[in-house]
Amino acid sequence: MDEFQSGEETSFVVEEVSNIIKEAIESAIGGNAYQHSKVNQWTTSVVEQTLSQLTKLGKPFKYIVTCVIMQKNGAGLHTASSCFWDNTCDGNCTVRWENKTMYCIVSAFGLAI
Amino acid sequence: MVNNPTLCSPEAHQLSKESDYKVDYNHNKVNQWTATIVEQSLTHLVKLGKTYKYIVTCAVMQKSGAGLHTASSCFWDTTTDGTCTVRWENRTMNCIVNVFAIAVVL
Repeated sequence: MDEFQSGEETSFVVEEVSNIIKEAIESAIGGNAYQHSKVNQWTTSVVEQTLSQLTKLGKPFKYIVTCVIMQKNGAGLHTASSCFWDNTCDGNCTVRWENKTMYCIVSAFGLAI
Repeated sequence: MVNNPTLCSPEAHQLSKESDYKVDYNHNKVNQWTATIVEQSLTHLVKLGKTYKYIVTCAVMQKSGAGLHTASSCFWDTTTDGTCTVRWENRTMNCIVNVFAIAVVL
């Protein structure tokens, strides 16, 4: 009987992770304008909060969370990522967020143990 | 055990070959460049033949005075997993490549 329930417990659920990331971004930088002196603190706060919420899910995964914050001033920014892993159980989720003065891109990768 | 210097040098090599010092930021080509960088780096890493899963990310930004900050945090086995970051720039753009290597337990 146990085999039928393995889906939720041990897979990377993109929507769940996406919600975790959005909450972390909102609570760290929601409503703030780009400020050079605070950005370091914000990026750290976003990745740490995301990571601690992900580990609280208690799934058998290793996680990598990256966050990029860029000031809006017309410059172009392109990001790409490539992964060599097990397609059946590993996954990733990227959330793009912006306000009037900055862009924030957070990616979370989950690798099954 | 991941040996960071051996991870970093193939990446730096890829970057200097792909994005020539004389090439300027070109909106039409950047997508192609970032894709090439991550794909070539990954291929190179896989050829090392180690039992690792890899994640390679690349960010290319036009130099225009804007501030850019990146951070990453990892929940893994610190004795076997590791990361390496290479920062590269020329006159018109900055490029940051991150490589994360996770040991596979067989």
